[in-house]
Order: sequence, then C-alpha cells, then structure tokens
Amino acid sequence: MKTELMKTRRRSDPDETGEKVSFRKAVKDGDFWTRASLVVMGAGYFGRGQHIKGILMTVIEAGFFLFTGCFSLPYIRKLPTLGTVQRKEILDLTTLQKTVNQYDNSLMILLAGVIGLLFLAAFAALYISNMKAVYRLQRQKESGGHINSFREDCRELINGRFYVTLLTLPGLGVLLINIIPILFMICIAFTNYDMDHQPPSFLFTWVGLENFRTLFTTSTTVTFGYVFVRILIWTLVWALTATATTYFGGIMLARFINNRQTRWKKMWRTLFVITIAIPQFVTLLLVGKMFGDYGIVNSICSKIGLTGLLQDLGLVSRGLSYIPFLTKPGWAHVMIILINIWVGVPYQMLIATGILLNIPEDQLESARIDGASEFQIFWRITMPYMLFVTGPSLITSLIANINNFNVIYLLTSDYVTANMNYASSNAKEVDLLVTWLFTLTNDYSNYKMASVIGICVFLICAVLTLISFSRMVAGNREEEFQ
Amino acid sequence: MRKKIMSLLLAAAMGASLLAGCGSQGLPAPEGTAAEGTGGSEAGPEEKEVSAEDGAKESGTQAGAGGAIDNLIAATDGPVDLVLWCAETEQYQTVMKQIVDRFQAAYPDVEFHITIGAESEANCKDDVLADVEAAADVFVFPDDQLVDLVNAGALQRIDATFTYDPAQTNSASTVEAASVDGTLYAYPLTASNGYFLFYDKNSLTEEDVASWDNLLKACEEQGKTVGMEVSGAWYLYGFFAGAGLEMYRKDDGSNFCNWNATDTTYKGADVAEAVSQICKSPAMVNCVNEDAQAFALNGEMIADVNGTWATTAFQEAYGDGYAAAKLPTFTVNGEQVQMGSFAGYKFVGVNAYSKNTGWAMLLAEFITNEESQEAIGVATGEGPANLKAAASEEIASAPALAALSEQSEYADIQRVGDNYWSPAATLGEILVEGNYTDVQAVLDDAVEGITQAAGGN
Amino acid sequence: MKKRWRTAARHMVLAVLAMIWLLPILWLFVTSLSAYKGINTMHFFPVKWSLDNYMQLFFRPDTVANFPAWFRNSMLIGVFSCLISTAFVLMVAYAMSCMRFPARKPLMSFAIILGMFPGVLSMIAIYFVMKLLGLTNSLTGLVIIYSAGSGLGYLICKGFFDTIPVSLRESARLEGASELMIFTRIVIPLSRPIIVYTVINSFLAPWMDFVMAKLMIRSKNPADWTVAMGLFNLVQRTLVGNYFSVFCAGGVMVAIPISILFVIMQKFYVEGITGGAVKG
Repeated sequence: MKTELMKTRRRSDPDETGEKVSFRKAVKDGDFWTRASLVVMGAGYFGRGQHIKGILMTVIEAGFFLFTGCFSLPYIRKLPTLGTVQRKEILDLTTLQKTVNQYDNSLMILLAGVIGLLFLAAFAALYISNMKAVYRLQRQKESGGHINSFREDCRELINGRFYVTLLTLPGLGVLLINIIPILFMICIAFTNYDMDHQPPSFLFTWVGLENFRTLFTTSTTVTFGYVFVRILIWTLVWALTATATTYFGGIMLARFINNRQTRWKKMWRTLFVITIAIPQFVTLLLVGKMFGDYGIVNSICSKIGLTGLLQDLGLVSRGLSYIPFLTKPGWAHVMIILINIWVGVPYQMLIATGILLNIPEDQLESARIDGASEFQIFWRITMPYMLFVTGPSLITSLIANINNFNVIYLLTSDYVTANMNYASSNAKEVDLLVTWLFTLTNDYSNYKMASVIGICVFLICAVLTLISFSRMVAGNREEEFQ
Repeated sequence: MRKKIMSLLLAAAMGASLLAGCGSQGLPAPEGTAAEGTGGSEAGPEEKEVSAEDGAKESGTQAGAGGAIDNLIAATDGPVDLVLWCAETEQYQTVMKQIVDRFQAAYPDVEFHITIGAESEANCKDDVLADVEAAADVFVFPDDQLVDLVNAGALQRIDATFTYDPAQTNSASTVEAASVDGTLYAYPLTASNGYFLFYDKNSLTEEDVASWDNLLKACEEQGKTVGMEVSGAWYLYGFFAGAGLEMYRKDDGSNFCNWNATDTTYKGADVAEAVSQICKSPAMVNCVNEDAQAFALNGEMIADVNGTWATTAFQEAYGDGYAAAKLPTFTVNGEQVQMGSFAGYKFVGVNAYSKNTGWAMLLAEFITNEESQEAIGVATGEGPANLKAAASEEIASAPALAALSEQSEYADIQRVGDNYWSPAATLGEILVEGNYTDVQAVLDDAVEGITQAAGGN
Repeated sequence: MKKRWRTAARHMVLAVLAMIWLLPILWLFVTSLSAYKGINTMHFFPVKWSLDNYMQLFFRPDTVANFPAWFRNSMLIGVFSCLISTAFVLMVAYAMSCMRFPARKPLMSFAIILGMFPGVLSMIAIYFVMKLLGLTNSLTGLVIIYSAGSGLGYLICKGFFDTIPVSLRESARLEGASELMIFTRIVIPLSRPIIVYTVINSFLAPWMDFVMAKLMIRSKNPADWTVAMGLFNLVQRTLVGNYFSVFCAGGVMVAIPISILFVIMQKFYVEGITGGAVKG
C-alpha cells in the first residue's frame, strides 16, 4: 500500500510532448506570466485568457495567507514549546471585575498548530502543482494547442474529472472529523497532557518518548506494562472469539431457518431481527441489569437452587450469595462473549441468509448426487463460498470488535477488580484497550497514556490488516465480475 | 537566477503585507481574551494586583461589602447571562428556581438571564473538566471533587464574600472542607453528604443497631439482611478510620496510608479480618445503593449503610418503622470500635472561567445564605451547612440528619488523592470475597497502590 | 414418521432459540408497564401493572426526562445526517468503483488506515475542532459529526457498484452521457438495495450513540438532548431507582418505529449488504 503511495507521488505528469514537467523546469523555462504565478498564483491563467480560473486561484492564495497570518501563524510559532505563559487572574475585590493575563492554551496551540501545518502542506502542494499547470498551459499556448474555456473546465468536472467533484466534500468531511483529530491525538502521546497539566489553566509540553517508556516498564508502583500486556491479550482473545462466534452462529442460524423443512421462515427471521431494532445501548444496559449481582436472573437462580449447585461444584465462591455473572473474572469474560453472541448473531444471520441464497444451486445438487452428506456439503461447498464472499468483512468486524466499546463499557460498569495491579492502573480484567483508554481520559484526564494506548491499538489493527487485508485493498477482484 | 530571487522576494513581501493588513482587524487572537470582566478597565495587571491586595487587607474575608456590589451594579450594562448546574431531582430544581427568582428580585436594577441545568452531581467534575470554558458559571458539587477541580484551576478562589461570611455562619469543619491550603474555594451548601445507618425500627431495636454483632445476629434470626457497599472505597474507609488508622492526601497529590501498620492500637490486619468476618455473615449483603433500595422495598433488607439521597426510598420501604442511627460499632480483637466515616458536604463553586465572575460569586453567595440553605434543606431533606439553618426545628428533627450529626463526631473530612479509589475498592472486594491467605500481604499491596506517586501512571 | 419428528424437533429448537432472544425484549416490554419505578429484581412480571410510564414519557416531561423533545432532536439529527451520509457514501463509492484516476488506490488504502484508529480516542479532539467552529451544543454540530466522516464507510457500497455491469456505463458513455448523468440516471436507480442499507444504517447511528452526544451537547436542559443521551442518563446511579421503568418505556418507544422500518426494509437491507459483501 505504502509503495503505491510513493510511486504516485514521485511520478510527475508528462506534458503534451511527453516531456516531464517539474517545478524547477517550470520556473527556469517559464515566460513572464508563468513566473508571475510564483507571486500571484492566478497570473499564469490571466496571461492565457483563463480569467475566472485566475481569479479563483488568486482568491485561494489570498485566503490562505489571510488564514495563516491571522489565525494559525501565531499558533505554529508556539508549537515547539506549546506555550510558555500560564494563566493568571486577578479579581479586584472593590469592583468585582476580573483581569486575566494573555495566557497560552497548550491544547489550542497544538490543535490550531496542527491545522495550520496541514493547511501549509496542502498549500505547498497546490502551489507546486499550480506552477506545473501554468507551465503546461504556456507550452500548450506556444504549440498552438486548444486552451479550455472556463465552461469547458466546468464540463470536465462532471465528466472526466468527475471524481474530483465527487470526492471534494466527503474528503473535507474526513479531514475535519478524522484526519485532524487523529493527528492531534498522535501528538498528545508525545506530551505530558494529564491531570496535573490540564489546559486552559495549566500548560503541557513535549516529553518525547517518555510515555511509551512508561507503558513498557513495570516497577512496583507503575503497573502500566503489566496491565497492558494482559489487557492486550484479552482484547485479542475477545476480538477473535466474538467475531468467530457471531459469524458461525449467524451462519448456523441462517441455515437452520433456510432449511427446506422449516416452515414460517419469514416469521422466524423477523423474530430475531427485532433484537437488532432496539438500540444496542438499551439492550445491553437491560441485559446488564438482568445479570447483575442482585438482578432478576440471580433471584431466579437462587430460587431454583442453581446458585447452591454451582457453589457445591466450586464454580461460585462460598462467600457469595449470588452468581457473579458480570462481576468476577472468568464469569464475566464468558458472559460478555455469550451476551455478545446474543447481540451479534441476528445481524450475521441477516447477512448469511442473503449469501446462502446466492450459492449456486447446481453445485449443491451435484454434490448431493455424488452422495455427499449434508455435513460434507456444508464444509466443502457452503463454508468455502461463505469465506470467499465474506472474508474481507470478517476482518472489518474483527477490527470493529477490537474497538468494541459499547458491549464492554455498558456491561461491566459494576465490575470491581480484585487484582491490585489492575487497580493501580485504573483498569479491570474485563477492559479492552479502548475501554481502558476511555476510563483514563474520562475519569482521570490521563490523555497522554490514553493516546499511547490508542497508537498501540492502531498498530495492532494495521498489522492484522496488512497480513490479511491487502488482497481487498489491492482490489484484485473488482474487475472480475464487471 | 536574479529574476528567480526577485520573484521569491516579491512573494514574501506580499505575504507580509497580507499579514500586516489583517493584524488590525480584531480577529481572534490565540492567547485567549485579555479582559473578561464586563467593564474591563485599561489598568495593567500589576496595578490590579496592588488594589486586590489592598482590598483583602482592609476587609479580612468579608470585603467592604456594599461598595463592591454597588460598583458592580454600576459597571453592569446589559443583561447578565449565568448558568447554574445543580442536581437533577425535581425537588432540587424547583427550590433552586425559587432561590434564583429571589436573587433576581434582590437586584432589581440588573437584568439577569439565569439558566438552571440538571447535572448529576457525581458527574460534575468530569463535565466541568472536559471543557471548563463551556461549563456552568455556578455549579453544585460534592466535596470529593474539590481537590481535582482546584488542581485543574477550574474554581474561582473566594478571597472575599460580600453578603455574609461563610466562616462565621458555618461550622469550622465545613469551611475547612471547602478550603485547600487555607484558601476557600467554594461556598458550603450542605453538610449531610456522609453516610449512616437506615433501619426499620419495627424489626430492630436501638440496641441491635448499636453494633455490627447485634445487628447481624438480629437479622440472621429474622432471616433478613443488612446492606453496605463494602467494596466501595468510600464506605470501606469507615472501618479503618474508626480503628484509628490513617489515610489522607498529601500535598503532592499522593496519599498517606498506614492501613497495613502493625504498630498501631489496632493492627491493620486485625481490622481487615474484622471486616471480612462481618461479610461472612449470611445476613450481610455487599450491594450498591440501587440494589439496597430495591431490597428494602421488597422487605428483605431491614438495615442499610447509606446516605440522605436514599431517604425517600427508605421512608417508603419502612413506613412508620423508618429510623436512622449513627454507624454501628464493630469488633476488633474482641473490643468494640466505633466505625468512622467520611463527612460529606456539597459545595457551590464558581467557575474561574466565568464571563461574569462578580455576579456568579454573588449568586453562589445567595444560594448558600441562611435563608436559601434552609429552603433547600426543607425541600430536599439534606442538612444545611449553615449552623442556624441546620438548627431550625423542621430540619433538625429529621431522623437521617439527627443520625448524621451523631455520626459527625467520628467523621473525617474527605481529603483523598485519586489513587485511593481503585485500590481501596479492590481491597474491599478482596475482603468481601474472603479468599485471601495472607491478609497482611493483601493490605501491603493495597497500601502500595493507594500511596503510589500521583501522576505516576 | 421419523422425518416428521425431525421437523418437529427443528421447530422446537427454533422456538427455544427465539425465546432466548426475545426474553430480554419481553422483559423490557413488561417492565415498561410496571407501576414500580425502580428495577424489579424479584419478579419477571411486574407486581402491579400500569401505563403510567408511557404517560410520564409523553405528557409529563420533567427536569431529567423530556422524551418528546429527545425524539424530535434525534429525528432531526437522524434525517439530516442520513441524507448527507448517504450522499457522501454514494459519491465516494461511485468515484472509487466506476472511475479510474491516479490517486484512487492510495486513497483507498488511506481510507482503510484511517478507519483503524480507535474513535473513542479522537472524541475530545473532535470536540475542540467543533468548538473552534462554534458548533458545540448544537444539532448542526452533531449532524456534521455523524455524517462528515461517512465517506470512509464506502466499501460495501463500492462492492455493490462493482456488480453493476460495466457495459451499461460504456454504452451510455458512447451515447454522449456525462459521468454525472451515468451516476444519477443509471447507477443510482439500479442501487436501491444499497441505498436502503446505507440510509437505515446512517439513520440509526444517532439513535445509538450516547458517548459522543454527551460530550458535544453541553447543555443541561433535557430539551436539548438526544434520545440516546437522555435514556442513558436515566439509568445512572442517582436516577435509576426512580426511572428504570420509564427508561424501558423509552426503549420500547424507540424500538417500535425502528422495528417497523426493519421489517419492511428487510429484503432490501439483505440484498444491499450481500450485494456489497459479495465483492466487498
């Protein structure tokens, strides 16, 4: 994936004559209008009669300088230190008026600085490609080629370059909601933004790799490393089991319902689909309360003597009068996976139903004629087909499960860990990496460590994807069916 | 070549002129706003500092009252926007509405737009700290959040008050609880946020509720239960504190804790054993507030360690048997030891980032004055921090508040570093489970977790 | 005879499974009809039945529950964010599936990389970005949050577009149709299942999310909240004892419209997702 990216970057566009156009060449061989574009970006277009395009380019340029000069430049300047002036306030007790000094807000400096640098990079890229475009235009003019009118340029935007029109708005949205926040949070991992350095009242600053070191060292009091490894293992176990159980559960259920002998197929399907319709947080909170230490399930279990039986079997500690469905390690781990099956299977069933209906019937028939048992048909024909079709989405749901916040967070709000090492790092045995980092940010304002953990989650996902996902990214199969 | 340099220079020049051109347009400067006060005067910060000190010197805590308020009214033109956050319950919201109305009536010359928001007090700190600048001007919060709010610089220091003096009207411990390093950071509102024992006097006698031994025995005989959230760090403190062991926040934000001590009157290990022993009783139920309320209504639980927030539920559950008492004594090494507790308070804080600091302070003062505190106490069943309001008959006669004032003798101000909560809850959980082999080792681990360096994680 | 037994057994198993799946839903429903406001831990069915929770939900908004307003807010956010999201997803999917340009594959890789970053972490950053834009505390802000990044979720839709025969587009092109016309006149009319799928998914997102909404809506006036936020607030420690059955009633009221939507659209939904997944 990366190499592809590099390749396209390096490849500069050949002009009409097949000659390569570079920024340097454009500056060296450009005529007056082309070189004037170094200052006024629209100049090159004015010189060739493309006035509207020229105006647009110049407006963009002016807009950029205005934005940088008035908004982001002061922030970018302060980026290396993230601010030096702490907030000081004075309340005049005789007039009850308050004066506050001109203080720095590290968080705003970092955020606006990141945005400013991003704009700067974007502008630099635009600037260079503009020079090339202007030079190409010059060459076209010189060789007497056709020069597009503005109307023709616009037509091009709904035709050959329609993708630009299509991708601009969604791209800006992704920039706003995904790229900027992600860059910002990556930066936080290299600062000391935590409870003792909370903006706007206090400043935080760069600390290099300090936080990563904290994560991977375990001493008597610092247990981040200890907890990280264990939570990581549980996260992976959870993601694999949760994905596999709901996936196979869904297929089984779909097959069961689709079987020829089953009647009222639609009714069964609808019954299961109803569970999807209730917002997940409602069902999860509800199920969480049902399986609470003193919840309805426990009352019933103790009434029918199940609690006593489990105590006799040694599965429930003698000291407890209830079954700790969601409050003790082991029990909680199993219950969470079971409840997740309950949540996830209907959805997978819907998907599997659609795919199963698409399996080429003739293959199944010929297998039956050859005397294959239903079991063999399932493993030899149905499963390979399903895996072929849903392979990529399987990886997506694996990653979704690594980041499955709702299930864990909503089900384990009453969980108290009995392991001091977890407690010292504000973690629980049932935490996933994401719920842990949520607790760290939300309850303990420990953004620096949360960011470090976030980056680790990202790396894990990236590795998983690289191993098994590249097939899909490369899009090898997309032309096959067209 | 020269041409190239020329054009580059030109580009730079143009950029610079653009920069210069927009500098004067008053676009948002990154440093934040310079003067946040309404009538921001031109005086430099140094000058201001002097005047502030003067003000403090001549007035002690209560500043030359009338003058400052008059100055503020004179400097206020246009409506004053204030946001007030307080608990979401119907009673709280209604009584706050009345108080705010009276506040507005008290300053008829000023136009106020006061919004009352429903904010769960337990989440107040998280919500304020997520973005101080967008938080309420005035908010009600429980005492355990004070230190974190102060550390984040979110609370306005109360260098002076203008309508009454909190130090005079409230008990000394209340004011101490609202201060950090001797500086008052919040206005005390209620002094009833601690815990005590609710019980059903139709089933239990006063003698029964005097000690855990009697209580558990009585419940066992009747086949009923007693509730307490032993695995809650806040409640667990009561046992250790009662036995004279110490745990408090040090100046650097970490905790001091000697719960594993072996040279004290009662050894930590013995206290832990005692707790564990209590939890072994079949009548003892380790459960949170909501479960306890449900059990009480079912008639299963006839006593519970809880706080005033559960008053209504227990009144309903026990009917005419509703009663409250101080926490029972428990047995350590064969001796009866009175349980301690955290004394709980609710404070009214002023946001340090409020746009109308002066008015926010005056509103906070108004909410916490004697009359308002009494109104809140009557409406919500909570005990006022104001001594006179607390002594008023209607309030003092409530069983829950009587029990609290009885317990207050053994209660400590809550000064706890962040690292206390998770390890202590875990300690409670271990003691409830009772599966440990070496209680001293468990305590050592817990103390190590509780005392770990602040920000070490 | 044996076969009949097996059929009966099959249906028995299905019935048991359906019961397991529906029990919590049934509990949600009966609890919403309970006269007791807290969590009933002893009995499955309420001791005393009452419709009061629904009356309270609809006609007695108080300081913590204002269901009509929540419903309206969520509906507004849902409708607008689903319009924008659907448009974005279709646009990106068309560009990635039906057009060829140099940056296509790098962009696709980049989109996948972005999708792997845990969303919980960037929440606070998104909050401050929106604050810079002055959009916190507003429905517009939430609409932007739920829809702006939706372009990243184009993969299933792209898979669906990949199945539309390329010859259709080629012949349209030969007749002089612009890409815009191919997109709007040929591809979109053929993609009803995937559009339904996208619409349902993006409409539902705001009804499910409480974490982001809680962060973004700083207002403490219940009339400004969304359904998810409001209902979640009702089961917090201090309120759950008095509002649990109201919470259940709210859950039921949210589930009814969505269930109907699902049952009607089930066919398209399945076609959409499988069409997309076939080529993923």
